Amino acid sequence: MNHLPARLAALTATAAAVALIVSGCSAGGGSTQSSSSKTLVVDNTFDLKTSDPARAFELTGSIVDKALYETALTFEGSDVTKPVPQLTTYTMSDDNKTITLTLNGKHVFSSGNPVTIDDIVWSYKRVQGIAGNPSFLLTNLSTGKPFAIEKTSDTTMTITDTAANPALPFILPNPSLGVLDEKTLEQHGGTTDKTDSAEQYLNGTSAGSGPYELSSYNATSKVVFKLNPKYVGTKPAFGRVVLNNVTGPSQKTDVQGNQAQLALNLNSQQVSGLESGSIKVAKFTSSNLGYLWLNQNASVSGGVTNQPDFVKAVRHAIDYKSLQTIAGTGSTQPGGMVPSQFLGSLASDENNTTDSAAAKSDLQSSGYKGQTITLSYPTDATLDGVSFADMAQSVQSNLESAGVKVKLNGLPIATLLDSFRAGKLQAGLMYWGPDFPDPSDYVTFSPGEGLGLRAGWTKDMSPSVTKAKEAAIAAQGDARASAYEAWQKAANADGAFVPLLQAARYQVTNGVSGNVPNAIWTVDLATVE
Amino acid sequence: MTAVQLPRRRALRVPVAWRRPAAIAGSVVLLAWVLVALLDPLLGLQDPLQQSVGDAFRAPSAAHPFGTDALGRDVLSRTLWGVRSSLPLAVALVAGSLVVGSVLGAVAGYLGGAVDEVIMRIADLVFAFPTIILAMVVAAALGPSLLNAVVALLVVSWPNYARVMRSLVLGARGQEYVVAGRLLGAGPFTSLRRDVLPNVSAPMLVLAMLDFGNQILLLAGLSFLGLGAVPPTPEWGSMVADGVTQFSSWWLATFPGLAIFSVVVAFNLIGDSLRDALDPRTAGAVQGSSI
Amino acid sequence: MRYIAIRLGLSVVLLIGVTIITFVLTNLVPASPVTAALGERAAGDPKIVAAYKAAQGLDKPLPVQYFVYLGHLLQGNLGTSIGTRNPVTQDLAYAFPATAELAIFAIVIAVVVGLVLALVAALRRNRLSDQLIRAVSVVGISVPTFWLAVAAYFLFFFVLHWVPGSGRLSAIYDAPPRVTGFFTIDALLAGEPDVFADAFAHLVLPGLVLAVYTLGLLVRFARSSILDVLNQDHVRAARAKGLPAHRVITAYLLRGALLPILTIVGLAFGSLLSGAVLTEQVFAWGGIGQYAYRASTSLDLPSIMGVGLIVGLVYITVNFVIDVIYGFVDPRVRVG
Repeated sequence: MNHLPARLAALTATAAAVALIVSGCSAGGGSTQSSSSKTLVVDNTFDLKTSDPARAFELTGSIVDKALYETALTFEGSDVTKPVPQLTTYTMSDDNKTITLTLNGKHVFSSGNPVTIDDIVWSYKRVQGIAGNPSFLLTNLSTGKPFAIEKTSDTTMTITDTAANPALPFILPNPSLGVLDEKTLEQHGGTTDKTDSAEQYLNGTSAGSGPYELSSYNATSKVVFKLNPKYVGTKPAFGRVVLNNVTGPSQKTDVQGNQAQLALNLNSQQVSGLESGSIKVAKFTSSNLGYLWLNQNASVSGGVTNQPDFVKAVRHAIDYKSLQTIAGTGSTQPGGMVPSQFLGSLASDENNTTDSAAAKSDLQSSGYKGQTITLSYPTDATLDGVSFADMAQSVQSNLESAGVKVKLNGLPIATLLDSFRAGKLQAGLMYWGPDFPDPSDYVTFSPGEGLGLRAGWTKDMSPSVTKAKEAAIAAQGDARASAYEAWQKAANADGAFVPLLQAARYQVTNGVSGNVPNAIWTVDLATVE
Repeated sequence: MTAVQLPRRRALRVPVAWRRPAAIAGSVVLLAWVLVALLDPLLGLQDPLQQSVGDAFRAPSAAHPFGTDALGRDVLSRTLWGVRSSLPLAVALVAGSLVVGSVLGAVAGYLGGAVDEVIMRIADLVFAFPTIILAMVVAAALGPSLLNAVVALLVVSWPNYARVMRSLVLGARGQEYVVAGRLLGAGPFTSLRRDVLPNVSAPMLVLAMLDFGNQILLLAGLSFLGLGAVPPTPEWGSMVADGVTQFSSWWLATFPGLAIFSVVVAFNLIGDSLRDALDPRTAGAVQGSSI
Repeated sequence: MRYIAIRLGLSVVLLIGVTIITFVLTNLVPASPVTAALGERAAGDPKIVAAYKAAQGLDKPLPVQYFVYLGHLLQGNLGTSIGTRNPVTQDLAYAFPATAELAIFAIVIAVVVGLVLALVAALRRNRLSDQLIRAVSVVGISVPTFWLAVAAYFLFFFVLHWVPGSGRLSAIYDAPPRVTGFFTIDALLAGEPDVFADAFAHLVLPGLVLAVYTLGLLVRFARSSILDVLNQDHVRAARAKGLPAHRVITAYLLRGALLPILTIVGLAFGSLLSGAVLTEQVFAWGGIGQYAYRASTSLDLPSIMGVGLIVGLVYITVNFVIDVIYGFVDPRVRVG
């Protein structure tokens, strides 16, 4: 960077005549550190909307809220199979309906107020009451009935679902359930119902007990963190963290030039050949799952996509290996809709295998007569950096070799979602990111359930899948894994969704370590050193 | 806004225009592209849609002179096939704007009064809106497709023609021969057709010629933003966009970008020469909008 | 004065027109901002959808929504962006200076360089330098801005490392205390030379990319205007009398060519804002262009309306000023 001004002078020789603007550009300016504290610069492609945990439900929001707020329970590093205590310890009741939380030592908000059971109860009720994106986390997913949240003593509280819910401890580490300072927020419009107006305040000042405080916040350019002096945990190595909104290609040059020490959104193409000297590439498999849906509703399917044999033909026509090549090494094909890292995931399924001969015979028996299928996909979203347009074109060419005519319909995600949620799209590609690391988050891909209905897959269809789903939900303890596997097998044999791909993800560092990829909050900024 | 006084009877001296080296160069380039568009299937190119995922992101080589893209498709053949998306649609777009804009401008200029006010205020309105933002909203409303992008651009590009047409008609309307014609009993539309239009057609054609480049740029720009061409159709703007996310594969954006540039330069060279042949002094009156 | 009053009145009507057009267009989009804003789970819960609609005023009929909007507008309230959840005025107050800084930088470069080139070309008409300059001008208006942005970014940043990356400021610096919203000027006002150098370094490449088109346009216009002036009798006489070249240039050529150049500057300002959409997208500039792109693809109605209004306002203001100057300089020109 030190040679910059001289080069610039050459580049702008003609522009230099513009005395007004250039006058202050002295030849000196080359110092690279404006503040004395150690600054960590992290590059991320933003999908940030708010830093209010009860409203945030975006990937960037989770990174931000993880740094600002503590949660009742948390996960250690990358291991999302075992919830561990943070603000509280926990016990599950024998019927798996109630989780009891007990305060775990002393935690203090940045305001100096201690974290109390009242703060946790209030924060949870606020998530339920303001009806934001994460409200469903504290709601029974089948009935829509909110969990009962109760303070039972000055150090204990309970959360109770109407039915057995072994996923409860897996839900609580979500950064959207970050615990807020009730006393401070109530002075700034914070309530636990729709009258809440604390979002503006929270987008300027954080009110948590996490390792960092908000220093400045701009949802489209950058978020700056400073140390929370009241934090009781291990003091982070960096006193100041800048989370920057940067596109993939620039992230690459940023880490190369040590403008950023951590880049979160590079794809396989961009990281190839990047590792050298102090630059390290950590590779892992994303828990976001790309899938294809085929509408089962007779009036939307065009009489094609709702034919069981047609669905089978599509499953065999897709070249899953090609998709993995596009997504880069480290990507995998999940066997069912539950991602490979989670309990109950399926390693593979013979229904979802590339077999062009089987595809052709299935197509023949499906009665397909050359109708054109419209395959929709989002144009402005990626599956962990893999363009949906590329995936859609690959699937299109696979299906056309099998003899199926395909028209691509790329739409901005805002437009796509509307038709998709209304169940009006014949076929398409979408993705699902985990809300919490438990297979119960995925039963929505069943007949009559939320996502099932988007593919026109109604309650009365595929009774074998519904039966397997009910068994999976009811299963307890060690029986859960096999029950969820059986449900996915049933859905692969007779279902509307084809699991396609979990992409490879990369975290690229220059001179720092301690960044541990996590399926829920991407990375914990406080552990980077 | 400013009426330009024009001399009477300015026929387009086309043969003169084509004696200029710039015009010759532009025409040669354009002709070459037209030939490419017509002969694409005969050029022995690889199938522009043929994927070979294992050969993705290959740098230019003998087998793939322009390299390959994310799906292993041949960039040379996609670039050469891309002209089939850009040229015909640009022609349709310019022709459409020319017709719509000319008619509205002529009507406004000739009838004057309330009709003039309404048409020109709408034109102002469209002018006040940045071209690409309005086109973006229209394209988003109609859904992405090249045809919709053309419609979106038609919405934003007619006022330029209408304004120039109106000022030309206003200029011509005051000329003695037109006044005389009206006095001799020619109706407004007869007079418009017989006396006015022949005198304004030359500058309007030059304007259209100069506008071609801009419209190609705008169409490609919308595709670049993902609001135009639908994959897998090869289209230059969306090919450049593919290159944006893959900087290390410089060939992805470079060649389609040069293709756009060559076509736009060709049109601008021809347009310039025509304009100069028409009358070098009217350069100010005849100018396209911009991206 | 009456002329100015009429123009002002027309401008207000025009702005209202802009709001109506934006409002109608955005509501034509076959999608609802609700789905755009709510997550998968939340959108499946009718209670949350209803709460969201009520909070955004989307539960009322369209014409009512429009008049509510106009009412707020009169109080200077542009509503809250669905995408950023900030008041639109606050977003625009951040994004507009970013684009203005870029556009003004570009236009100053284009005007200064363009005028010099046009003068040289006109004075040496049909010689090699004229031919070259005209070629440069044609190239300038023919090169796709978005492609130039990508290519320049690739070359000067990715390969040569001459300029810093995308954005307006390197991550290590905080934005200077806000006065004008122009990082360069604010940094100078705050006495932070490092920040100024960094902000200026970020400005150069996107600014030059954006200037190229305007430069090409300006050379074409200015050259022919200057030729016109050169051909006038009194200028020929002045030159024949042996008046020093710089006197001829300042006294006759530039003054004579002022009006057409003014026109093109006004025209160019509008087109710069458009070109900024593509340039900002590549350079992640965070200005009006990027804001507009995000807003229109995510159906963020209040944001789109805000962008439409502010850009319309700029366009109208610039043209108004130019018209008034025209009116003073050349009384024959009136409302057209």
